[in-house]
Amino acid sequence: MTKKLILVCCLFVVNPTLARAGDDVPQWLQQAAKINVPSYEKDVQAVVLLNEEQVSVSADGRVTTVQNFAVRILNREGRSYARAGVPYLTDTGKVRELRAWLIRPSGEIKYYGKDEVLDVISDPNDIYNELRVKAVLAKDAAETGAVFGYQATSEDRSIFGEEEWEFQDRLPTLSSRFTLTLPAGWKPASVVFNHAKIEPQVNGNSYTWQLDNLPPIKEEPASPEVTNLAPRLAVNYVPGDGGGGALRTFTNWAEVSRFISELHDPQAEPNDAVSAKARELTAAAKTELDKIRAIGDYVQRLKYISIDFNVGHGGGIRPHTAAEVFAKSYGDCKDKANLMRAMLKAVGITAYPVAIYSGDPNYVREEWASPGQFNHCIIAIKISDDTQVATVIQHPKLGRLLIFDSTDEDTLVGDLPDFEQGSFALIAARDDGALMRMPVTPPEANRLERQTELVLRPTGAVSAKVSEKSVGQSAVEERRLFRHLSRPDYTKRIEAWVTRGTGGARISQISPTDNASGEFSLALEFDAPAYAQLMQQRLMVFKPAAVSRLESLFLTEAKRQYPIVLEPYAYDESVRVTLPDGFQVDEMPDPVKLETPYGSYATTYESKDGQVFFTRKLVQRAATVPVDQYNAVRSFFEKIRAAEQAPVVLARK
Amino acid sequence: MKLFPRILVFSAVAVCLGFFLSVRSFAVGGDDWRPIDPSELKSNDPVVDKDADAEVIFWEAKVVDEVQEGVDTVYPRTVINHYLRIKIFTDRGKESQSKIDIPYETDTEIKDLAARTIKPDGNVVELQRKDFFDRTIVKQGGKKVKAKSFAMPNVEPGAIIEYRYREVRNNSLSFYERLDFQREIPVRSVKYSMKPLAIPGFGFQMRPFNGNIQNDFEKKTETFSFWMTNVPAFHEEPKMPPEYEVRPYLLVFYTSADDAERRGAQYWSAFGKRIYDNYKSYFKVKDEVRQAATEAVGSAATDEEKLQKLLDFVHAKIKNASSDASGLTDADRAKLKENKSAADTLKRGVGTERDISLLFGALATAAGFDVRVVRVGNRRESFFNQSLTIPYFLSSYDIAVKVGADWRVIDPSSSYVPMGMLLWQEEGEQALLSDPKEPSFIKTPLSPPQKSMEKRNAKLKLSDDGTLEGDITVEYSGHVGIELKRLNDGDSPAQREQNLRDKIKERMSTAELSEIKIENVTDPVKPFLCTYHVRVPGYAQRTGKRLFLQPAFFEHGIEPLFSSSARKYDIYFHYPWSEQDEVWIDLPTGFSLDNADAPAPFGAGQISQYRVSIGATQDGKTLRYKRDFFFGGGWNIMFPTTSYPSIKQLFEAVHTQDNHTITLKAN
Repeated sequence: MTKKLILVCCLFVVNPTLARAGDDVPQWLQQAAKINVPSYEKDVQAVVLLNEEQVSVSADGRVTTVQNFAVRILNREGRSYARAGVPYLTDTGKVRELRAWLIRPSGEIKYYGKDEVLDVISDPNDIYNELRVKAVLAKDAAETGAVFGYQATSEDRSIFGEEEWEFQDRLPTLSSRFTLTLPAGWKPASVVFNHAKIEPQVNGNSYTWQLDNLPPIKEEPASPEVTNLAPRLAVNYVPGDGGGGALRTFTNWAEVSRFISELHDPQAEPNDAVSAKARELTAAAKTELDKIRAIGDYVQRLKYISIDFNVGHGGGIRPHTAAEVFAKSYGDCKDKANLMRAMLKAVGITAYPVAIYSGDPNYVREEWASPGQFNHCIIAIKISDDTQVATVIQHPKLGRLLIFDSTDEDTLVGDLPDFEQGSFALIAARDDGALMRMPVTPPEANRLERQTELVLRPTGAVSAKVSEKSVGQSAVEERRLFRHLSRPDYTKRIEAWVTRGTGGARISQISPTDNASGEFSLALEFDAPAYAQLMQQRLMVFKPAAVSRLESLFLTEAKRQYPIVLEPYAYDESVRVTLPDGFQVDEMPDPVKLETPYGSYATTYESKDGQVFFTRKLVQRAATVPVDQYNAVRSFFEKIRAAEQAPVVLARK
Repeated sequence: MKLFPRILVFSAVAVCLGFFLSVRSFAVGGDDWRPIDPSELKSNDPVVDKDADAEVIFWEAKVVDEVQEGVDTVYPRTVINHYLRIKIFTDRGKESQSKIDIPYETDTEIKDLAARTIKPDGNVVELQRKDFFDRTIVKQGGKKVKAKSFAMPNVEPGAIIEYRYREVRNNSLSFYERLDFQREIPVRSVKYSMKPLAIPGFGFQMRPFNGNIQNDFEKKTETFSFWMTNVPAFHEEPKMPPEYEVRPYLLVFYTSADDAERRGAQYWSAFGKRIYDNYKSYFKVKDEVRQAATEAVGSAATDEEKLQKLLDFVHAKIKNASSDASGLTDADRAKLKENKSAADTLKRGVGTERDISLLFGALATAAGFDVRVVRVGNRRESFFNQSLTIPYFLSSYDIAVKVGADWRVIDPSSSYVPMGMLLWQEEGEQALLSDPKEPSFIKTPLSPPQKSMEKRNAKLKLSDDGTLEGDITVEYSGHVGIELKRLNDGDSPAQREQNLRDKIKERMSTAELSEIKIENVTDPVKPFLCTYHVRVPGYAQRTGKRLFLQPAFFEHGIEPLFSSSARKYDIYFHYPWSEQDEVWIDLPTGFSLDNADAPAPFGAGQISQYRVSIGATQDGKTLRYKRDFFFGGGWNIMFPTTSYPSIKQLFEAVHTQDNHTITLKAN
């Protein structure tokens, strides 16, 4: 159904009109269209000629934003950049004007006015969402060489005295500037991320930050997110007297903590029903960890749904009451964290909401105290020394805190989604709150262990038994498939995985077990008619890693622009191959042993009593490897691939 | 650049969809819920499919076409009363069934919406009016697409959910409406009641497809009923027939009373005459068309040559406004004037696919050929069955030209389709030949495997570290080439190169491509051609005294076509195809062939053959690998489910043989 909803958005066709009197191309766009564009690599699809935003703040918190944007299309794929999108909140904001122009290489001008503007829901999946987008889509009218530009004026009412600005996305940008106009006597304080500090140009009460000639940001595998590469600006502004007036301002993280606590704490009181359920869930729990697991599992399995009212007034931060969420059996991240907090409280365990950014562990910066840096809510649970798991941090005042994401239903208590590990997050505990680095689990905590028994036949056929156990984020991947695919689809997925390494495999047994402690195990049995290749009835060749051989590399380009981000991961496999009668080992690959700061890898081979024993072990550490070490990282994985592709050669006795 | 200013929402991890509820009981749509069978509530065993995560207990839709009288107007409308009851068995069922969206457009109203959850303990939680959200998904000018959205409360394994609503489609009748009987979860019982509108001069038709759809008629209410029981869930499978060849559905439509009365050949005869009448004026040749035909035909002597010249002429002179390769933008298209005759199309040099076909027809007429419009089935959507007398399924238009005693079907509007072929979806299909007297069906030919060939050549050099490097040429003809042209013709040259890189790296991640040339992308006749230089580190595996090499370079890294052991639907290949590989590999100094035995040939009669030969030059320094494969010979592209094990086995054998490795021994 969701697909249908998205599809229908595409049914609307924009039919631009020829420019009429009054729709003349504004001066700034005419000038931008005349700019000579530098030459770029041929895969650069478009170049932003001007990216400008002018924000005017009034003393009562009203904010007026004017956007001027121009982009030149460099090839056919770049046509998709001929678009405008101006978001607004239905409760506090509006888009007063959105006009766009397409200047074709012939000089012909297309105008996009009121009748061509789409008004689109921001997320068709949400049942209720106050965020909408006014948009112009000019892709189908655009062509290589055309310039698309738009100007928009929108109004909103802010609750925070702060602004954020991204100077560019991935496209090269020739001129990017942000201008903030404040009431007399107000002062801005700015911080720039991913770039050296930029001093604003001051003109009366207006402050302008500008960057020019920004190069394209190429997409590379295992790269930092673009939000960690593109220059970003954050500005706080306060009246001259230092007070925020109608606006909420923050100078340190403790203030942000108090602000979030004020919104969350009153919502986290358990009522009788919540308390009763908490007691029921933990009735059989013997330890503190058992209680946390029981409640965590219950909350994670509640249906996720986000319904935020009054977002423009802070409704996006305040959870619904725990009682309400429990009664409805659904909620979003903050609702779930809040309900869990209430349930834990009911059984005598203290917990705190944690504000975090989901999707990029390096997004949140310590130097800018702002709730605007977060988009997600998890939970920190105060635990005793008896509870030992990998996701614990030590808070200077609150003590040991177990960090848990009550929304990600496949990452169990004691683990944390990899995209949150290592991120700065705010423990919201009123005056004791602090921005803290989230735990990073070691590779061993995300390990997969596999034992494989292969019995080779003289024809090259094989009978195989594979037994896997995974924990941490390795288990999450397995669990996600197991929990979310229907049984027939899960079987198909396993069959596809096995046949990728062993063509023609017939699987006779698939036994998955999802253990509440976080371990996921999978046992398989299969036969394949031609696993080993028989050569002239003399030699037999096979690869001892029957499944999940590293076939494909992700670092293959000769040059690299950005650091390599590696996530913690480990696997450890033992393979025992029973050789067919009449054959003996003629040649085995040399063992491999690699040791680097970001990981280690080793293989061993042994032949004994008609059997071959093979082991492989990888430990990949969480790391952001500088780009000057790219060749070494690339070589590390190339060697692993070569090792896993290396065959064993048997010869007839 | 700043997307969401001043908006702070902690809800980024939308990992799943949600539901909305009110625990207070308030029936929006009245008290028309049907009683719950306690055994249904108690049971945790699926009825239709033992692996089901949720099952529809019943699904009913009462469809009434009627006339609504307004203050000053009378207009038709379709009113559908929907009612669904679903049993939840697992968390996956909870996840997939808890949130409901009912999209609707400007002229449609959703009324009397009601929904409730019956918990496993029998307690009922009913949604309130405020729990239903009326969302505008998108609006532009006066047009809107909206959705009624709601979440079912307290859904858990064992619960039953149900909802009902009235859908009023104003200014609409059930015209070629597909009424589905299958969903993404199994259905125990599905029933449509249909009350058509009596329109003087028109008849109403209801045609069931693909399942044991039962029917009945209640005279008193003049209502037809169609139902099915125990309908399994719909799942997609690789190489399956078109979706609506396997999904059960009911097609409902109005036709003229005359057509409704006609059966079989009588129907098609009348229909074929109408097509002839509709288009005959386009083939009345004007001077400029005659002159163009004369110039185009030039000195061509045979009918074949003449038609080829005419086809070349329209491809060269007339821009296809529908094609990405035309370079036209939507704005350009909006400006195009309608071509009312072949002469208009000729004069303007641009036209729709229909314009181009009709111009070709007019030119061929001018050149002295007998020409007809043909309506052709489209195998991409469904397989045409003339006994059903539904022209809806003859969705393609082509031109038939009489050559000798035979009619030759030509598709002039598809730029890349050569003479003698049609688009794959139109080949091997029934085509209705229009005629003033005796319209008839002819069958379009299915091109043999050799016409759709991937012809690949590699001249490579192997290094002693296993790196393979050299020059590649690949030529794609027939349907393989047409599909590639259509995929690439709208892309920039840089993107075409990237498409090729992606395709190669998908199976050989270490491959480095350079000197890429992609030719004939928009050429109507020449095969799609790629040449490039490739370097693949780690292609061959090195051990202490040997190198192991897979000589089937073009198959390296390709996964088996079929991996699933279970199969539900027939196996359907779009068209027959063939592959012809020739690979030359210079062997590294210090190594010699230890074994160069070739895998044994095998096949499946006329359907498919696989043959490989491996040899070395006399000096033993160069390996030559030849591979020939085809599939779909003898017009065999569709196989029953029972043949799945054999088909799977055949492609597994291809995969195994393609992975055949030879050994080089260190001297």
